[in-house]
Amino acid sequence: MLPRANEPIRGSIFRVATRRNIAPDVRGADHPLQVGDRAPTLDRLVSTDLDEERGQEQRADAPTVVALFGGDDAPTSEGEREAIRADLRALGAVLIAVSPRWLWVFRPEEERQFLESPSPALREGLPRLFARFGVPLDERRAGLGGLFVVDGDDFVRFAHRVGPGERITLGTAVQAASRAMLLPPDCRTGASRREFLLFSLLTGFAVAVADGCAPAPPLRDAGSIPRAAVDLTLEINGQRRALRVEPRVSLLDALREQLALTGTKKGCDHGQCGACTVLIDGRRVLSCLTLAVTAADAKVTTIEGLGSPEALHPMQAAFVAEDALQCGYCTPGQIMSAVGMVSEGHAKDDGDIRELMSGNICRCGAYPNIVTAIRRAQKEMNGLALPSKGPA
Amino acid sequence: MTAPFEYVRVTGEADAALDTATPGTQLLAGGTTLVDLMRLGVMSPARLLDINRLPLARIEETTQGLSIGALVRNSDLAYHPAVQARFPVLSQALLAGASPQLRNMATTGGNLMQRTRCAYFRDVGVPACNKRDPGSGCAAWDGFARQHAILGGGPDCIAVHPSDMCVAMVALDAVVHVRGHYGADAAVTEREIPIGDFHLLPGATPARETAIGPGELITRVTLPATPFAARSAYVKARDRASYAFALASAAVALHLEGGKIRAARVALGGVATKPWRSREAEVALEGQAPSEAVFERAAAAALSSAQPRPDNRFKVPLAKATIVRALTRAREAV
Repeated sequence: MLPRANEPIRGSIFRVATRRNIAPDVRGADHPLQVGDRAPTLDRLVSTDLDEERGQEQRADAPTVVALFGGDDAPTSEGEREAIRADLRALGAVLIAVSPRWLWVFRPEEERQFLESPSPALREGLPRLFARFGVPLDERRAGLGGLFVVDGDDFVRFAHRVGPGERITLGTAVQAASRAMLLPPDCRTGASRREFLLFSLLTGFAVAVADGCAPAPPLRDAGSIPRAAVDLTLEINGQRRALRVEPRVSLLDALREQLALTGTKKGCDHGQCGACTVLIDGRRVLSCLTLAVTAADAKVTTIEGLGSPEALHPMQAAFVAEDALQCGYCTPGQIMSAVGMVSEGHAKDDGDIRELMSGNICRCGAYPNIVTAIRRAQKEMNGLALPSKGPA
Repeated sequence: MTAPFEYVRVTGEADAALDTATPGTQLLAGGTTLVDLMRLGVMSPARLLDINRLPLARIEETTQGLSIGALVRNSDLAYHPAVQARFPVLSQALLAGASPQLRNMATTGGNLMQRTRCAYFRDVGVPACNKRDPGSGCAAWDGFARQHAILGGGPDCIAVHPSDMCVAMVALDAVVHVRGHYGADAAVTEREIPIGDFHLLPGATPARETAIGPGELITRVTLPATPFAARSAYVKARDRASYAFALASAAVALHLEGGKIRAARVALGGVATKPWRSREAEVALEGQAPSEAVFERAAAAALSSAQPRPDNRFKVPLAKATIVRALTRAREAV
């Protein structure tokens, strides 16, 4: 059973590289290539006819997708080739797929492809090529043996060797590679073209190696640390929102600075005050200590999603009615925390409310009215949740 | 400001986290300690391995006891019916720790790996900290040491282990299950570490805090069914009524039979460099009637080797009173 195109491959890890772990290949040519290693140029490994195909006007910054097939089955169906073409076109890469029986080269700029028998010189070089990439050259094992992305500077940026029990079609693998290499849309030209996003096939999140659109320092400069950006989708207040953030960006900063949801407040930024409380998948958490990237695909509820000025959430209405604030800075966090607390269902009396709201500090000291407001809203919320009880 | 790092999320089976263990990698679970310390600049891993989607969030009740997955959140553990009924000290300790929001995030494994709240450790402007920078000295020893340890420390480090959960686990004879590549063939196997051996005394190497190393993954913690676990209690003294780290805490468990204490466990938090089991106190309790006088003798025994600094002498009587109160609660329990 072949994995479908969008099906994650369980139990595998696709390693992704940032400039940080790119290092000169000091292990020598005997070591199978890994992400971050510098690959020998393909022409040195195989034969010059590959370079002819790779392009007489070969772009130095064009990545190459290298697919190695041990067996001799045809690379793809016609339909899958169309999908592969689309993926390659999107990322501006050259595909070189080789098996002992055929060679398939695709150069998107020229809308043409070759599927032909390899030259005698290429066939002679194949054992070395496969050995260098750590893929067994076994004609009895049909199908894709490994897929690699080599960037324009010859660094391996993506590597997947197909395990013994695993079967992946070329289309699936190229789709993974294309996700791994999506160019930032505003960076399609200029010096940063070689910068591309690396995408995990498994989880659908991206790790970028992009320095925005600024001229990129040399890839091997160990002192340069990338501002790696990640593409992710959050469901915020019922709306799916796409954003691109560095992995170090907190959910709080992503909400406030990128999505303009400034209702969530930054107090201490160290998990000590509760002002940044939001609900993730219905549970109250601190958005300052949550990395936005870890919330990918989660449902986030902020104060903006709780109610509207015309139709306040019962907790919001109760805070207004009971005058449960003075300066108001901690209030969104208090309300989100209180909503989470009520749904947890452990607060039986005012003492419980005080204890279970202790993660939200109010410097104005509005605590007595906060407790009163929560008690009031709790009755209404539980009434709403359990309509069979009848009106309170 | 958090330094840049590489972020990798692992999915699939738990062992996936082992395959990518490299130097400079930190595992990310709840993040409540790690993200905070990264923002402070105290920790700056090159790589974060997000393990939150590994299948390690189950609590399983067995006749032998309880198995707690490393990714079980503190709140889920605290309110689990089996924990509340059979291991009340653990539920009480968890609910005495942090805030509800943090408990919704923090995990069992992460709590075991929690790092000290020592203000000198957390302030990178302080040059001397043997935990941050081995060999640089200890600013707390001659500094303001009100919060610091009176047991298990020395001139190289008097940082308190801040966990409440771990103190309860010490009183429950917990076992930490760890997976890693061991042996000549480097196959993945599991090893078991008694909780008492999991955390290390600082000695001359305060930067080494636990018995596990890079490339190892805590998968679960097991609690054996013991005759003393059900009659257990946690008492925590702190600067405010809630949401503060312990100045002193005690987790105790008693097996009473025929009016005598057949077996006892006494563990202390907030006063020691690791979750602190006091065998001296347990010896003083065993075979005795559960009277206040016996409890006070046990408390005195527990603190007999205390070495307070000028600022934290108050912790000696505070810890004693905490032990007595916890033992009294355990006696009245069930």
